[in-house]
Amino acid sequence: MVEYRIDRRSGVATYVQIVQQTKQALRLGLLEPGDRLPTAREVVEATAINPNTVLKAYRELEREGLVEARRGLGTFVRKSLSTAPADSPLRAELDAWAVRAREAGLEREDVAALFTSVLDAHFAESKGDA
Amino acid sequence: MTDTAIEAAGLGRRFRRRRGPALDGCAFRLPAGSVCALTGPNGAGKSTLLALAAGLLRPTEGTITVLGTTPAAARERLAHVAQNKPLHPQLTVAGTLRLGRDLNPRRWDARAAERIVAEGDLDPDTKIRALSGGQRTRVALALALGKRPELLLLDEPMADLDPLARHQLTATLMADAADRGTTVVMSSHVVAELEGSCDHLLLLGSGRVRLAGPLDDLLAAHTLVTGRAGDALDPHTVVESRTTGRQLTAMVRPAGPLGDVLQGDRPSLEEVVLAHLRSPDAPPLLLDAREAAV
Amino acid sequence: MTTTTTRARAAVRPVSPPRGLLLALLRLHRTALWFWLGLVAVAAAALLWALGPGADAAWAEYRGMGCDGGAPDLGCDLPGPAFFRYETTVTVVIGILFLLPTLTAAWAGGSLIGRELESGTAQFAWTQSVTPARWLAAKLAVPALLLVPGTLAITLLHRTLWTSDHHLMRVLAWRAWYDDGVFEANGVLATAHALAALALGVLSGVLLRRALPALGVAVAAMASLTSVLDDLRPHLWPTPPGTPSLMHKHPASHFWPLQLVETGIVMAVAALATATAFLVLRRRTGAAV
Repeated sequence: MVEYRIDRRSGVATYVQIVQQTKQALRLGLLEPGDRLPTAREVVEATAINPNTVLKAYRELEREGLVEARRGLGTFVRKSLSTAPADSPLRAELDAWAVRAREAGLEREDVAALFTSVLDAHFAESKGDA
Repeated sequence: MTDTAIEAAGLGRRFRRRRGPALDGCAFRLPAGSVCALTGPNGAGKSTLLALAAGLLRPTEGTITVLGTTPAAARERLAHVAQNKPLHPQLTVAGTLRLGRDLNPRRWDARAAERIVAEGDLDPDTKIRALSGGQRTRVALALALGKRPELLLLDEPMADLDPLARHQLTATLMADAADRGTTVVMSSHVVAELEGSCDHLLLLGSGRVRLAGPLDDLLAAHTLVTGRAGDALDPHTVVESRTTGRQLTAMVRPAGPLGDVLQGDRPSLEEVVLAHLRSPDAPPLLLDAREAAV
Repeated sequence: MTTTTTRARAAVRPVSPPRGLLLALLRLHRTALWFWLGLVAVAAAALLWALGPGADAAWAEYRGMGCDGGAPDLGCDLPGPAFFRYETTVTVVIGILFLLPTLTAAWAGGSLIGRELESGTAQFAWTQSVTPARWLAAKLAVPALLLVPGTLAITLLHRTLWTSDHHLMRVLAWRAWYDDGVFEANGVLATAHALAALALGVLSGVLLRRALPALGVAVAAMASLTSVLDDLRPHLWPTPPGTPSLMHKHPASHFWPLQLVETGIVMAVAALATATAFLVLRRRTGAAV
C-alpha cells in the first residue's frame, strides 16, 4: 500500500502527482504486482482531494498498463517498473559527464539547467500538461 | 436520475433594496458527481445563486433546474449550509441532530451525523450557543451530511475552520462524494482553499458567470504569455495584458500556436481567476454551456 | 463516480413527516410551551378556588356583616378582606385573558417567526425535508392547538363562576356582562382574540423578517384591532328602538348575538392575516406546497 503526499504549491496537477508517486513506488519496489492500490475513498480521506482526481490518476495508470481495476475489488498492480540499475552503463556515462562538467567549472544549478534543457529537447513534456 | 446536478438558463434575481440585480443572465450546467468551486469577489452573487438552487429564493428571471426538477421538488434530496451556519442556540448538539432526524424522517443517517460530530470531540450535551464558529460549522455539516443529500450546497463552509478541522471536514466531504457520488458546490472567495478538492469551477463577477467548466479544461484553455512590449497578441483572446518596461505579460486564451515571439506558460488556477477579476470586461468562457447547447 | 460502496443505510427510525415536524416545534419552543401551560394552570386554579372556598368565604363575611338583610346599608359597599381576596383573584384571571392577545402577538412576531427568519434557522428548516408552506402551517397549527383548549378552559370556568355567583359579582364587584374583559371572558371572543393575535404576529414576522420590529408591529396591530373592536362593539347588533348604540343599552339577551358577530369579524381578520402570510412566503420562495 502506498500513501500519497499532495503538494498543492508544486504547480504539478494533483492527478499527475499521484501517477508519479505510484510509479516511484513501483520503481522502488514499494508496490509489486498483485498489490492493491488504496481506494479513492481511502486516498480522499487522507488527503482531502477530489475523488475524481484519484480516479483520473488510476485511469491514467491503467491506460499505461501498470494497474488494472477489478470490479468490486479495487485497483491492482499489474507489473513493476524496471529502472536502470545503479551499475548500468548509462549511469556510468552520466557520472563521467558530471565529473567533466565540474572540471569545466559549472555550478550545480548550471548542470541542472543544462540537463533539463537536454531532457526537454529529447523527451516530450510530462503528460501532466495535457 | 439525471446526469445534470444543476442547470441554469437566463437565471436572474433582483432584490428590491438593491440597485442592480444580484444575478443576471446566468447560464451554466454542472454535471452530477462533480465537486464545484463557486468563487468570485464579495457581492458577486454566490450566496444568491446557492439560495436559488436550494429553493430558498425564487428567481426573478430565467430558470434553475436541480437534480432534474425544480429546487422545491428536490428539497429532500439536497442540503444547503448557509454562510452564517444558522442553528438554534438553545438546543444542545444532540438536540440539533435530533432536529435533523425529525425534519428528515425519510433520509436521516444518524450514524453519519454523529461520527462527524464525534470527530470534532464535541460533547453532545453542549448548547449550540456555547460552541466556537468552527464547531458550529462542524455541527451544520453533520446535519447536512446526515440527510444523505444528492446535492450539497455549501456557502463559505471553511471560513471559520482551523487548518486541521478544514482538512478533516474537506476529507469527510470528499469521502462522502467518493462513496455516494454526491455533487458538491462550495463557495469561497479564497480560490486556493478550493483548488485541491474541486474539479469544476464557476466564477461569478457582478452577478454574471465569468468562467464555468471542468477545472482542467479551463486551465488548459488559458496561457500566461510573456513577450516584448508591442508584440501582437492578435489571434488570441486576451483576458488581461500588462506592460512593465519592455516586458509584456498577458493572460490569453490561445486561438492557435503562440509562435516564436511569445513565451507561453501554464497558469495556476489562482492566476486565471485573478486575471478575470482584474478585467471585468474580459469575455466569459463557459465550457459547460457550450456542451449543453450541442 | 464508479467507486460506490454499497453500504446498508443506517436504520432510520420511522417518524412520519408531520409528527417529526410537530415534535421538533414543541422542543424548539419548549419555554413558551411551559409558560403557557403554567399560565393556564394558574388561571384555572384561581377560578376553581374562587368558585369554591373563595366565594363561600366572601358570602360568609357578607352575611356576617348583616348585609343580606335587604335594608340598604352603606357599610355593605365596603367589603371585607375575604371579598377582597375573591375579587383580586377574579381580576387577575380577567387580566390574564386581557393580556393574552398582546403576549401571543409579541411571541408569534418575535420568537416564533421573526427571530427564525432573522437568524436563518427558518431557512435551515426549509432546506431539510420541510417546505416553507408546511413549516408555516406547523408554526400556526401547534400554537393554535395549544391556545384554543387552554383559553376555552379558562373561559368556561369564568363563565361558570359568572353564572353561579352572579349575585356576588354584580352586587359587590359592580361588574356588568358588557364590561370590557368580562364580555370577552364569558364567551368565545377571548379565544378568537388569541388566534387573531397569533395570525397577526405570524404575518408581521413573515413580512418584517426581524424579531424586534416584528414584535413591535404585531403588538401595535393587535392593540389597534382591540381598540377598534371596543368602539365598534355596541353597533354590532341593533339596540332596542329609540336607544343610543351604547353597550349598557343592550339587553343581556344580546350577549350571544354581539359575541358571535364580533367573533366572526376577529376570525376573518385572523384568516386574512394567515392567508397573506402564506402568500408572502410563497412569493418569496416560490416553493410548491
